[in-house]
Amino acid sequence: MTGTAIEQPSFFQAKKGLFSWIFTLDHKRIGILYLYSIGIFFLVAAALGVLMRLELLNPGRDLIEAQTYNQVFTLHGVIMIFLFIIPSVPAVFGNFFLPIMLGTDDVAFPRLNLFSWWLYILGALFALSTLLFGDGPADTGWTFYAPYSVKTGTNVTMSVLAAFILGFSSILTGLNFIVTIHRLRTPGMGFNQMPLFSWALYATSWIQLLATPVIGITLLMIVAERVFGIGLFDPSIGGDPILYQHLFWIYSHPAVYIMALPAMGIVSEIIPTFAQRTIFGYKAIAYSSMAIAFVGYFVWGHHMFTSGMSGAAAIVFSIMTFFVAIPTAVKVFNWVATLYKGSIDIQVPLLFALAFIFNFLIGGLTGLVLGALAADVHVHDTYFVVGHFHYVMFGGAGFAFFGALHYWFPKMWGRMYNKKVANTAFALLFIGFNATYFPMLILGLKGMPRRYYDYLPEFHDLNIVSTFGSWILVTGIIVMVINLLAGGLKGKKASANPWHGITLEWQTASPPPLLNFDKMPELPKGGPYNYPNAKNADH
Amino acid sequence: MADSHTFVLPNSGHNFDAKASKMGMWLFLLTELLLFGGLFLVYMIYRYLNQDAFLLASFELNVWMGTINTIVLLTSSMTIAMAITALQKGNAKLAITLSWLTILAALGFLVIKYFEWSSKFEHGLFPGMDHFDALPLGERLYFYLYFFMTGLHALHVIVGGVFIAVVIRMIKKGKVTKERYSLLENSGLYWHLVDLIWIYLFPLFYLIH
Amino acid sequence: MAEKEKNTETTSAHEHISSYAEHFGTWVALILLTLMTVFISTFGADLRTLTVATALFIATVKALAVALYFMHLKYDAKIYTAWMIVVMALFVFFLIMVILDYITR
Repeated sequence: MTGTAIEQPSFFQAKKGLFSWIFTLDHKRIGILYLYSIGIFFLVAAALGVLMRLELLNPGRDLIEAQTYNQVFTLHGVIMIFLFIIPSVPAVFGNFFLPIMLGTDDVAFPRLNLFSWWLYILGALFALSTLLFGDGPADTGWTFYAPYSVKTGTNVTMSVLAAFILGFSSILTGLNFIVTIHRLRTPGMGFNQMPLFSWALYATSWIQLLATPVIGITLLMIVAERVFGIGLFDPSIGGDPILYQHLFWIYSHPAVYIMALPAMGIVSEIIPTFAQRTIFGYKAIAYSSMAIAFVGYFVWGHHMFTSGMSGAAAIVFSIMTFFVAIPTAVKVFNWVATLYKGSIDIQVPLLFALAFIFNFLIGGLTGLVLGALAADVHVHDTYFVVGHFHYVMFGGAGFAFFGALHYWFPKMWGRMYNKKVANTAFALLFIGFNATYFPMLILGLKGMPRRYYDYLPEFHDLNIVSTFGSWILVTGIIVMVINLLAGGLKGKKASANPWHGITLEWQTASPPPLLNFDKMPELPKGGPYNYPNAKNADH
Repeated sequence: MADSHTFVLPNSGHNFDAKASKMGMWLFLLTELLLFGGLFLVYMIYRYLNQDAFLLASFELNVWMGTINTIVLLTSSMTIAMAITALQKGNAKLAITLSWLTILAALGFLVIKYFEWSSKFEHGLFPGMDHFDALPLGERLYFYLYFFMTGLHALHVIVGGVFIAVVIRMIKKGKVTKERYSLLENSGLYWHLVDLIWIYLFPLFYLIH
Repeated sequence: MAEKEKNTETTSAHEHISSYAEHFGTWVALILLTLMTVFISTFGADLRTLTVATALFIATVKALAVALYFMHLKYDAKIYTAWMIVVMALFVFFLIMVILDYITR
């Protein structure tokens, strides 16, 4: 009738009501469901972190008993790792954007996708239930080492079953993404024309798929010992607790790459957009994701250098650990090279990406210290380790998650947040983060052990700095969350492409319609980041 | 939902895609292999550390029952594979019959397993029972692994059997056909995995000497 | 990696169908291998390490028969075989590294 195309309603408007959300098959809604669930658990675990820092403000008992402190750091770890970081980027942004960036309208198995989210919620309920009965949440640390995990009266079985269920959620998401990437790419988009976020998710999915079952069965062995007396790690009958550690870390080391790779994929998306030029070394970055996933399977023993493992095995693991730094360095060099002579637009997403590079650099370098067998012996189980992993997981993966949130916010909600407030939140986060965790690196070198609610007086000053830092950090989190909520509710309407990006998600409306595209998406000529006006474009 | 004005992509994720379906099943099988792999790893280590104990403990198992069970499972693998051939050739009835035979074999396997486990209970050889607690160190580890691994395997036999039963129903309803047999094929793949695991469980537990 | 056909397809498009004879032949081989392994362990010499190695070797041959023929890997896209090899290699690697620890303690 009329000459103009009828604009599709956004996916928010396609159906209404609570049931249309919790029974949705739309990957975008599932991504948002994950966002809200993950967001809530992040805040809970962050609060636990603040509580820990309050206890550590001064030596001796400040607020809580030693036993409670053990439960707090265990729950903090379990929630942060299994309920926040591991799902975060894949489950939220992978779900929302992978199909769109591939030019398709959903993942390969939409019902399985919904099931993954339900499993996530079930696992979360199991984890939280441990607060409500018996001797309370587990006090073993998130690592659940035998034999203590088998003997303690706290709710280890429920915690471990929670991790098992969450593991399945993770496995099924990985499975879904692998098939989606293999089967649903838009015509003309080969593997080497996919966005780098897609490569990152592909590599991550393989880790999720292959590593998670190993921890799954290991945790079942813990349950078997607690519930049926099947003592596979019981030294009194010839079992070996170190075998538990082997099995646990065979998953948990690759798990850190589940956390890091998608975050790096985010950085690989943000930097070309805000430099308005193609990524330097596309194939190097793509293949380095696969290389990290691959080598990451071979290094788990570096978590066990002081466990009683043989010296020969320790040496082999240490050597292999050095290799995994190489592909990571490749990425950092390529990101920086992309910025060089680019048309830089300093916006909040770019700030988070740059902060990622800075934080991950520190985290990665401290990782090398830990990977060196001789050095690790001195810093194992000290605050050096705590500082290291917070730099990579929070300063790295966490900041990348915030960056993705600010980058894709206008696309997801069709509105823009207040950029000035976002910048302020970023500053608070960056300063607060480094003030909290840098002192830990020094404290560890000086010998302060981890997982203790008390410490020697000589460590007092730096602990004060760290706790003050945590208050700045938490303020930053609060400002950021409120700013984003306000933006979502009453921010200015955003255009389809506010950052002038070139990947396919910027070709559709903000927010996207239910089936993602209302016409065939057009691939950029010459490569997924080939900005036509850039100095290094392929003309 | 999609009316005539709604644009639909050619590479839509909502289309039935047999290759995707098969790929998904294979990926799931990889996870199952690693799940059992963890247990096999524990078995290998403890056997290396307790070679004599494992040998002694294995004498409690009945090799002939184990052999019969192996033959039962191998036969059931053949029947489900033939069921797929039958459906691919358009013979739905034969496919259903062969699928039922597979389920029958599964039940046979479970019955024999039941007798094997019962005889262990009768001899007090279960965690918590007197004779069990009196066993030497390495032998207890053997039995922990025996019950855990064959138990987990039996669980998968049940799941596999139920899966095949569901597929039989869908063939009858005309939802799984010569043109669209992914579900039968996938149930077969799952069943073969169950068989594969037993192929390794059998020599490791029954044929140590 | 480039798909030539549309993703909307049925399963009947030019796919290899294994014959009943092929499945039966595979079954016969498997039964024979099973009887062989039982025979060797019951009546064979008491060679500790070799017993494990022989039993695992025969089990692997059986597993290959199931995978290649019953599971159709021989006729399927190469990528499934590649994935199976990767997973088996990964498992073997885990085993070797863990055993290395115990052997060198």
